[in-house]
Amino acid sequence: MSRALAFLTRRRGHGGRWHWTDVVTWVWLLGGTVLMFGPALWLVASSFKGPAQLAEFPPTLLPYAQIAVPVAGHDAPLPLYEVTGPDGTTRQLAEIRRIGTNAQMVDPAEPGTRLDVDIAARRPVREVGLALDNYVRPLVANDFLRFLWNSVFVTVTATLITLLTNSMAAFALSKYRFRGRDAVMLLIVATLMVPLSVILVPLYSVVNATGLVDTLWGVILPTVATPTGVFLLRQYMLTIPDELLEAARMDHASEWQIYWRIVLPLAAPALAVLAIFSVVWRWNDFLWPLIVLSRRETYTLQVGLNTYAGELNVQWHYILAMTVVTMIPVVLVFVFLQRFITTGIAGAGIK
Amino acid sequence: MAARLPGLGAVVAAPLVLLARAVDPPLRWWQRVAGQGGMAAVFLLPNLAIFGVFVLVPLALNLVYSTTAGTGILLGGRSFVGAAQYARLLECGDYLDALTCREDMFWTATANTFVFVVFQVTTMVAVATITALILNREIRGRGFFRAVFFFPVLLSPVVVGLIWRWILQRQGLLNLIMVSLGLDPEVWLNDRTYAFAATIGVSVWAHMGFYTLILLAGLQAIPKDLYEAAEMDGTPPARVFRRITLPLLGPNLAVVLVLALIRGVQIFDEVYVLTGGGPGTSTLYLTQYIYEVGFASVLRNPGLAAAASILMGLVLVVLTLCQLRLSRRGAARDAK
Amino acid sequence: MGRIALHDIRKRFGATEIIHGVDLAVEDGELVVFVGPSGCGKSTLLRLIAGLDRPSSGTIEIDGRDVTRLSAAERGLAMVFQSYALYPHMTVRQNLSFGLENTKMARDEVARRIDAAARMLEIAPLLDRRPTQLSGGQRQRVAIGRAIVREPAAFLLDEPLSNLDAELRVTMRAELAQLHARLTTTMIHVTHDQVEAMTLADRIVVLRQGRIEQVATPLDLFNRPANLFVAGFVGAPNMNLLSATARDGRAALPGGLDIPVPRDGPCTIGIRPQHLHPAEPGAPALEGQVTLVEALGTETVLHARTPDGTALTTVVQGQSPLRPGQTLRLTPDPHEIHRFDADGLRMDDPGAAR
Repeated sequence: MSRALAFLTRRRGHGGRWHWTDVVTWVWLLGGTVLMFGPALWLVASSFKGPAQLAEFPPTLLPYAQIAVPVAGHDAPLPLYEVTGPDGTTRQLAEIRRIGTNAQMVDPAEPGTRLDVDIAARRPVREVGLALDNYVRPLVANDFLRFLWNSVFVTVTATLITLLTNSMAAFALSKYRFRGRDAVMLLIVATLMVPLSVILVPLYSVVNATGLVDTLWGVILPTVATPTGVFLLRQYMLTIPDELLEAARMDHASEWQIYWRIVLPLAAPALAVLAIFSVVWRWNDFLWPLIVLSRRETYTLQVGLNTYAGELNVQWHYILAMTVVTMIPVVLVFVFLQRFITTGIAGAGIK
Repeated sequence: MAARLPGLGAVVAAPLVLLARAVDPPLRWWQRVAGQGGMAAVFLLPNLAIFGVFVLVPLALNLVYSTTAGTGILLGGRSFVGAAQYARLLECGDYLDALTCREDMFWTATANTFVFVVFQVTTMVAVATITALILNREIRGRGFFRAVFFFPVLLSPVVVGLIWRWILQRQGLLNLIMVSLGLDPEVWLNDRTYAFAATIGVSVWAHMGFYTLILLAGLQAIPKDLYEAAEMDGTPPARVFRRITLPLLGPNLAVVLVLALIRGVQIFDEVYVLTGGGPGTSTLYLTQYIYEVGFASVLRNPGLAAAASILMGLVLVVLTLCQLRLSRRGAARDAK
Repeated sequence: MGRIALHDIRKRFGATEIIHGVDLAVEDGELVVFVGPSGCGKSTLLRLIAGLDRPSSGTIEIDGRDVTRLSAAERGLAMVFQSYALYPHMTVRQNLSFGLENTKMARDEVARRIDAAARMLEIAPLLDRRPTQLSGGQRQRVAIGRAIVREPAAFLLDEPLSNLDAELRVTMRAELAQLHARLTTTMIHVTHDQVEAMTLADRIVVLRQGRIEQVATPLDLFNRPANLFVAGFVGAPNMNLLSATARDGRAALPGGLDIPVPRDGPCTIGIRPQHLHPAEPGAPALEGQVTLVEALGTETVLHARTPDGTALTTVVQGQSPLRPGQTLRLTPDPHEIHRFDADGLRMDDPGAAR
């Protein structure tokens, strides 16, 4: 253990002595780890707690569930409580029903005798357990399965269209000389300056005029012609030697085949980066779907979550669980593809 | 990865391959008719069409909306009013007091956004720089820690907003910590100051990893031999930082600063979920103002929203031009 | 068949013309080498023939058919690129078959051609590898193989050996020559290496600044360079060029040498280093101080400087006892003297004319 610690804290260049900057470094890094991961972990832990436990203060770190025991004469298992008697002794009783501030209870060992207990004198008996119902119910009974499907549809479709149209445009802009090419590039640069929030109103009117309001296509289409994607792919395609294209031309390949059979496969690394980015972008989109989608059946997860979280009486146990569900794809991307994204950002400064 | 991708791609792309084969004969014909220039048009067309309809047309329409009045979104029902919408936005009794303005909400949102941007960007750049400097040291598990700080960047703003709303609520984690430290719990998001601070803190938490990466890339581009030369000269670390690290990191810092400004001005998603602009109007920022005036409120006024968005757009254009200049200068430096 | 004819080909990029009216006929089965310093337009000319670029004016004919307006694919030619341009994401076999599949050729015919090419070039064991897994020489063979399977009217080779190391270049040069002998297909080979040009070509086209300086067989080029540029460009070490002024049909060189020249006026006398021999004592000779001795073993290259500052180079067989600083006396082989007029054009040997 101490050797492992020595291994972890060994540094170069200081001869093994701790400099104050080393202390700052490790405090910053470890504190940062807690601060960055902590909130998400707290969310996950909370999402497995039942509604009663969520309302408690102070909250517990781990999710607990009340133990229920089978009692003879009752079909369903009954919730178990620890009851403190007037004499100070405690015993474990199961609740049959609650009447006002009192509860009718029974000792699982003697199912025949019913006892009347003040609810102030009892505490639920709990063990670490997961309230999986938080996850099952919103998906099955509420619309979250629908939202989930909508989000998946938007993400996959938008990403495929983005890859196709952006790569075609990037191919033309990187491998052809034609009149107006610089003008097109300038146009694309210029629109980098036009974020969605600046054209909300007219964009809505365009989507409205094309009949796409309240449809998932109204969410997808305005997002797919990303200038960032065209840029990223064009920069990469510029590194593909023109001789390859000329060789293909001598080989009777049509221009479309050159794009499809030569350039696309060779641009695979850049396409992968764009695909990852596009998936994260489209999955996380909020403001635009919020504006376009007004019927519940068309909500994406983000909009659905916001709607449920905006209700007067927030059902936190469902919201938390669904937030975790919303987080899952992004966490998967983070775990498996994080390196791609970080190199993409470091290389091109895109987000 | 490049070796693995075609396998994955082959499965996904199977129907696309058929499609690509099907479009080849007509395109071959077109290539013979129209030549390479004609093919360039074919390749550009889908992207430019979508681009035109969903970016360029709205851009032009924005001017139309901002100079017309009416509650409808259809252009037919709107009447031309010239610069009246802008005048309405900018009319103020006393420019230092938002409440004396005709559109007091606009001025509140503008003032809030301004203060927000000042604090958020300062904090962001400071925190990201420190983190980048630390991650640039030769420490164990650097890749892991880099990933740690990057993690929140990927989370959706809605998730970020909900995570922190849950932590800051009455029975939340922060109050648990307060109580265990012997302090009084607070209802954080019901307090104007705390709520405002929360929007800054949460947005820094969510985005700092992105800026850290850019700065880290800048730090790693500084040649190692400069540091070795300074070490040979016996330069003290503080001086190395001031005379070598900072000047060479300068362009990256400038890019980060402007990017953070551009994003800060447009802040909406996570704040909207976290506070909804409240309590009162204490965390109402510009994008939310545009959204509510244009779409959400009862008295919706698309023309006013368009005018406000154009004013915001002008600020963004200036900032973006700065950024393009800076990154071009950075690229020119790299090319040398 | 593969007879290629160029008529008054010009190429402009923007305002600058870089090919100034080239006329050339390449006969069927001929191996023609385009040679010249970098920027002379040799690669551009090849790309114009290939159809990768279009000439600004002039016509290109293949077997009497005007192909000027046809695309690269329709000309029936095959090209080997300087970088080989092998498709990196395809195996060797796919690289070879890609072009054939594009013409909708029957599968068994494709397989037959690949087999034949693979056997000829000894690349059969490599067919399932990718280009990145091949050595430079192997890539070169695959690139040639990709051209061969097309069974083109002519092969166009754009500096195909320049990416190989010196030793491999010599081997591949010999293989290319053998290949041409076997295939007897027209080949146009572009290089900046005159040794490559001399060893491979049936005829050499020397280009400079977008113009043809001379078209000739390698030995004609060496023996009768048409102008000063060709004289200086072909042959190693470079020809000694001495300025003189001819009077009464004779040009006087330093050291009392006297060369017959057909016309009077300023002229240049060219003597290859191989054709300068040690002078008899007392006879008129070019005299100079040795400045550098390059001992190559079988021969020695001697650099010297005459008292008036003219540089001289000579090659002597075997090894020389001379050291820098010593005096060298040289006399030219009278039958191997080249004469150029004030415009740098070759003047005929008055002895041969008589």
